[in-house]
Amino acid sequence: MKTKRLAELSMLTAAALIIFIVELRFPDILPIPGVKLGLANIITVFAVYRFSGREVLLMVLTRVTLGAVFSSNFSALIYSLAGALLCLAGMLLLRRLIPIGYLWLCSIIGAVLHNTGQMAVAVLVMRSMAVAVYYPILIVSGCIAGAFTGICAQLILKRLMPDKKS
Amino acid sequence: MPDRVKAILAVVIIVFVGAAAASFILFRPKDKPDKDSGEHEYIEIVQDGEVIERIDLLTAEDRVFRIESGGGWNEVTIKDGIISITDADCPDHTCVKTGELRSEYVPIVCLPHKLLIRFAE
Repeated sequence: MKTKRLAELSMLTAAALIIFIVELRFPDILPIPGVKLGLANIITVFAVYRFSGREVLLMVLTRVTLGAVFSSNFSALIYSLAGALLCLAGMLLLRRLIPIGYLWLCSIIGAVLHNTGQMAVAVLVMRSMAVAVYYPILIVSGCIAGAFTGICAQLILKRLMPDKKS
Repeated sequence: MPDRVKAILAVVIIVFVGAAAASFILFRPKDKPDKDSGEHEYIEIVQDGEVIERIDLLTAEDRVFRIESGGGWNEVTIKDGIISITDADCPDHTCVKTGELRSEYVPIVCLPHKLLIRFAE
């Protein structure tokens, strides 16, 4: 990996972590596990269109792991990990289908996939389908949060890669 | 907008509307049976996939008790036939913020302690 690329990835990971930690201070929007804005995803969506799959994977794994360290909430790690990986896999596939100008759409689906991953782990951990009734509301919140982070990512893109704003 | 993007957007909108309708139905509060009707209103406390307690809310006396689970605890309160988790030592306190158990389908969940309170079928 070129040094410049490595530096850029590290900078973005650091930025994502800062956003993540700031967001921890926000009060809960709804008292439902998994409902949050997920602002750090702004960086992930952007990175999906900027870097290779391997590079984004490195970035996301670093952010999620360090995020658990800094928030000292290790019981949530398995949920974030499952969500983040499913979200990333989906968005890496979607970037072939969705042009960069519609990145917000990719972000919405990514957010819903994130919630899907979390939900799957919750069902496995609780060994009960009863928690699955939260899934519809997680989809709704995922769509809204994903649209918001996607639009933010679109704005960043215009600044950082003006030639690609299309 | 290319057709492919339009198609994906259409799917997203359908899923969104469907999920919104489903959550509206699922989160509706349950009708509470009359106290003198002789009916029962059982709830189940489930820990780690197993029912550890079954309580009839209509006849239950007001009380506060703790459920220990894997190094942590949740404080459950029953008051006037309504159950809620009022305190816990978990990091997120989501179960406490959920408040009273109202919907027939939506349980109170404590993910860190694998604890769940729901209406029995």
